[in-house]
This record gives sequence, C-alpha cells and structure tokens, in this order.
Amino acid sequence: MKPSLFCLSATLFFLVSCATESRQHLPDLAPAGDREGSQACTDFFPSGKWQFVHSIVFTTKDGTGSTVIGVTSLNGTTIASALVTVEGMTLFAAEYRDDNSFEIQRAVPPFDRPGFATGLIQDVRAVFQPSAGSAIRAGKLADGTPVCRYTAADGRVTDIVTGAEACLQVKSYSSDQVLVRSIVGKSCRKIGSTLIPEYVELKTFGHSAYTLKMTLIRADQIQGGLQ
Amino acid sequence: MKGPASGLIILFFFFLWAGSVPAQGSADLGEASVRFRSVQADFVQEKHLRILARPIVSRGRFVFQAPGNLRWEYQIPLQSILLMHEGRVRKFTGHNGRLVEEKGLRPDAMQVVLGEISNWLDGRFSDNAAFATEFRDAQTIVLTPKKEGLRSFISSIELKLADKAGLLDSVTLFEGPESYTLISFTNRALNKEIPATVFTSP
Repeated sequence: MKPSLFCLSATLFFLVSCATESRQHLPDLAPAGDREGSQACTDFFPSGKWQFVHSIVFTTKDGTGSTVIGVTSLNGTTIASALVTVEGMTLFAAEYRDDNSFEIQRAVPPFDRPGFATGLIQDVRAVFQPSAGSAIRAGKLADGTPVCRYTAADGRVTDIVTGAEACLQVKSYSSDQVLVRSIVGKSCRKIGSTLIPEYVELKTFGHSAYTLKMTLIRADQIQGGLQ
Repeated sequence: MKGPASGLIILFFFFLWAGSVPAQGSADLGEASVRFRSVQADFVQEKHLRILARPIVSRGRFVFQAPGNLRWEYQIPLQSILLMHEGRVRKFTGHNGRLVEEKGLRPDAMQVVLGEISNWLDGRFSDNAAFATEFRDAQTIVLTPKKEGLRSFISSIELKLADKAGLLDSVTLFEGPESYTLISFTNRALNKEIPATVFTSP
C-alpha cells in the first residue's frame, strides 16, 4: 500500500536524519607549529597521589537517574574507584592498574553487570588522566581554538581544548572518528600546579548515552603513601 | 535502581534500632518499644573505605513517628531527603539549589522496610527474620544478616546503646574489611508531637 510505504520511508528518513545529526565527527586540525600547547594540556590532569570525592548525578537518555558519591584515588600506577550511596552503602569498588587489569572488590546489582567496571574506568581515566601512550599533536580547529590531539595506536582520538571558556574540555572519538564522550570542567581552582574543576559534566553519546554531573566535595593531595 | 534502593533498606535498619532498642537484652523490648511514639535526632555519618585517607563525613537529622512515618535528611556534604508516609517512599536530592525528586526507587524493597519497621515497633525483636542478634555486653548489640541477599550488602551491624533506655549512641554498619559506616546520634528527643508535613514535604 502506497500510504504505508510512504510512512515507512518517511520514518526511515527521519531515523537516518536523526542518527546523522546526533553523530559528531572528528574535526580537522591545523598544525600549530610548536608543541608548547601540549605541555599546557597536561596541566589539567593531576599528577602524583590524589583523592577526589564528588557528588555524581547520573542521568540516562530517558531522564531516569540517581545521585551517588564517587571516590577516586590516584596512586601513580593504580586508580582506585568507589561509588557510594548518600546513605553510605558501597555500591561498587575496584582497583585498576596501568596494564589495564583490574580487581573488583565489591559490586552490588546493577553495578555487577558485565562491562560496567570497564566503562567506569574509561570515564575516570578520561577525567583524571591524559591519554597514555598516545601521539600528541598541538594544533588549532577551524575557528582557531587551540587543541592538543592525542591519537592512540588503535586509532582512538582525544582532543583537549585549551584556552576554552571552560577550564577543562575533553572530547573523545572512536577509532572511526565519531564523538563518543565529551567532558567539560568549570570553576577550576589551582591546587599546587594542578587545575581542579569544581564541576565536571561528562556526556556519552550513542544508544546507551548518559550524563554524569560531578560536583567536587573534596580534593586531597596525598603526601604519604596510599594503601 | 536496585543498588541504591537496597542501600536505603540498610538505612532504615539504622533508624529502626535508633527508635526501638532496649537498654538491656531482648526481654525488655516489648516494654521499651511501647513507649516510642516518635524519635528524632541529629546524626554524623562517617564513611570509611580502604582507599580513603580520610572518611567522608555527612551530617543530618532524622525524624520518625509511628506508625511508619520517616524523614531522613542529609544536610552536608549534599542535601538529600528521604520521606516515608503512609507506605509511600520518596527521595529528594539537591541540584543547583533546588530539591529534585529521584525516580526509580523500588517499591517492593520499600515494602520490606515498612514491614520491618512495624515488627520492631511491635517489640518483635528477637524473632527478627532478617538478623541474628547477639548481646555482646550491656552496651553493645551485634546483628548479623541471616539471608544471603542482605549479606551481600552488609556483614554485620554493631549498635552502641546510650545510657537512656531505647536510645542509641551509634550504629556501625560493616560491609567488609576496612569498609564501614559509623553513624553517631546527638540531640535525641523522644515522643514529641511532629506535624505530618515533616513526612510529606521536603
């Protein structure tokens, strides 16, 4: 039936249009001519031993969500991460090592789902660590925005925007150059030589997109050893 | 979300003990529990984790009135209010200076909690289905979950009783090695009249 075919075609067109609109691709980067910018990029990431406590509002695409407290402990070669309810119940705790191995110490449903621990560390690393083992290229976007571009061996790309209105701006692209995660940090304050954002908003894109709104409760630079 | 909702169950267990524990052993429970129409207190909560150099400290206030009305409110480090009234449970969290109701609390879990509250206020303490009870000394009660489901959240609860019958100094919830939550109560008040709006409006 023609009306049905028309409806189907219109629906497909609409869906394809929406899908096309929602996908952002890696922008071109004009060379900056020097590597000074790349040094400035690392200023946004804490080095040494740190502990951060954030309130995290987690929201999915359908608007459902919850508030938890996130604990992140950076210890040079390891990252420990925990999610705790406001009431004090530990929902998830794990320790991640530089070789990408990790140990889950506690995971209550639904945080015991396969892939959750991996997804969490990807978000944590995106916020707290520069891309390790990546080629760095400093350049400018078409509008003149200075960017540090980290390209991993597998083709994934991370752009760190410097000089932006937000004090931290990171965009992560998949190996096929589609935007998969964006991070915006605001209200930065300097602790030592590190800029610490008081507020971070992390958005992921795709069919299981979600948003994390992270408000800093505490940032401690640890002088002694962590356990 | 199942996880956070289950965490709320434990929170209610805290509350239950704060409102209905006798000073000396289970034999006094029936008498003690009858006296409680309402209880309210300030609390300080310390969350200890192995990975934390310093605990996460939260402060707030709780109010309970029989039968089954509860307000459990955190004021810092972030605002969060849990309300329970006539079987309905709602949770509000502060976002950008305003309180937003959280969706997705599991009503089935909340019904379990309500059932437990009723049991305890009726003085049914020693035959509690959820916990095995040990009176370690005159001031200390240790609860151990009987069911595997609850044990996945908590290994034991230690209650420290105040001098005044039926009131608690502190509750410590042990999750596992080096992971526990300590809640200490102050400014406790019993059997004051409490307006219903305390349990219905954030």
